[in-house]
Amino acid sequence: MNKDIISYILLFVILVLVQVLLMNHIVLFNSAVCFIFIYFIIKLPINLSTNLLLTLGFILGLSVDVLSDTPGLNALTCTVLSVLKRPMFFAYEQHDDQKRNVSPSLGSMGLFNYCKYIFTLSAIFCIIIYFVEFINFIDIVDILIKAGASTLFTFLVILAVDSLVYRN
Amino acid sequence: MRNLLNFLIKYSTWFVFTFYVLISCILLVKTSENHYSVYLSSANAIGGTLYSTTSDISNYFNLVAVNQSLQESNARLENEVLNLRQQLSQYNVMAQDSSYQDLNKRFDYIGASVINNSTRHPRNHFTIDRGAADGIETGMGVVDQSGVVGIIDVTGKRTARVISLLNQNQHFSVKVKGTPYVGSLAWRGDDPTVAYMEEVPRHAKFHIGDTIVTSGYSTTFPEGIDIGTVMGKIKTSDDTFLVLKIHLASDFKTLGTVRVIKDALKHELDSIRSIGSYD
Repeated sequence: MNKDIISYILLFVILVLVQVLLMNHIVLFNSAVCFIFIYFIIKLPINLSTNLLLTLGFILGLSVDVLSDTPGLNALTCTVLSVLKRPMFFAYEQHDDQKRNVSPSLGSMGLFNYCKYIFTLSAIFCIIIYFVEFINFIDIVDILIKAGASTLFTFLVILAVDSLVYRN
Repeated sequence: MRNLLNFLIKYSTWFVFTFYVLISCILLVKTSENHYSVYLSSANAIGGTLYSTTSDISNYFNLVAVNQSLQESNARLENEVLNLRQQLSQYNVMAQDSSYQDLNKRFDYIGASVINNSTRHPRNHFTIDRGAADGIETGMGVVDQSGVVGIIDVTGKRTARVISLLNQNQHFSVKVKGTPYVGSLAWRGDDPTVAYMEEVPRHAKFHIGDTIVTSGYSTTFPEGIDIGTVMGKIKTSDDTFLVLKIHLASDFKTLGTVRVIKDALKHELDSIRSIGSYD
């Protein structure tokens, strides 16, 4: 268990660093941004208590916020995403006691279900974050384009990272 | 009491959720105010160290481009120095017995490097590697070699956060160069190369390609610093004012070295302004 905690802390730090130092500066076609750090929320074990999940999500969002000068934006979106994580997981997986102890992964869910799970969470995140940030400023088509492009980008990068990790 | 406790425990998730959402929303709303804690900005100790270190590394990758632009601006400045020297020799006699020499020293520049930058948000900020210890204060103007880029917002000890010109909450007082027509420059959140000059009087005369410069009405920027060029006017529902589309001179995606403008008269002017009326 201790080993797990340390590896989650490491994952947290690495993801926040990659997000603020690298991904925040890569904007494809002026609209697609990769929000790689939500991989942390995706990977948290399913049986984690909801309060702890929410707290971790909030802290994760706040860390990214402070380092990229968008106070509250990522914190809010991550909190909402943390709440929706379990319902989304069980939308694609059966309530099965054997599976409840593990973190969602390619191995435990199967490729198709896992892809659906990642894609849904990425989409929720991107839609919320762009709506919260831009709703007053640009029209809804622009928001949807940005959210859609970012969802796809995030999904692909997370899948790529995950398949590398899984092989090891 | 027991019931209350049970109730709190049963619905604790909702309380935790509401609590975090509330905090996030408060932070979100507070962003529109310009002054809040330095600890919540990238100018704090951790952010400063992090971005300084990484920009030390990444700076090597665009040395060629930086070098080129420096050479260009160097050549331009050399020409200017030659011209000014010529003019100065003509005005020398006049300058000796006037008080204008003091005014020449009114503005001072502090060089700084941009260590973190963003252009994709509706309210963009960037971070520079100079802070309160280097004499930087909130409200100072920031320019790069092409023109105005922002205003200092929060200062840490060795870092400072700058409100980028690409920030919807920040307006700049500007005018068409060589004319008295003043307007307010605002960015609208989409294209990082285009901003809009609003509240231009209807009778203002301008041509496409005219330069837009700072008006000098605030202590933030001296008069006449480039901002961009006129691309054309756009239609508005308001009949009394024009809105001009401006192509920005600075490339905000590749901000490298900037200068912070220090106005020696700032405190004096601000205190006179704050006296204002005797109410």
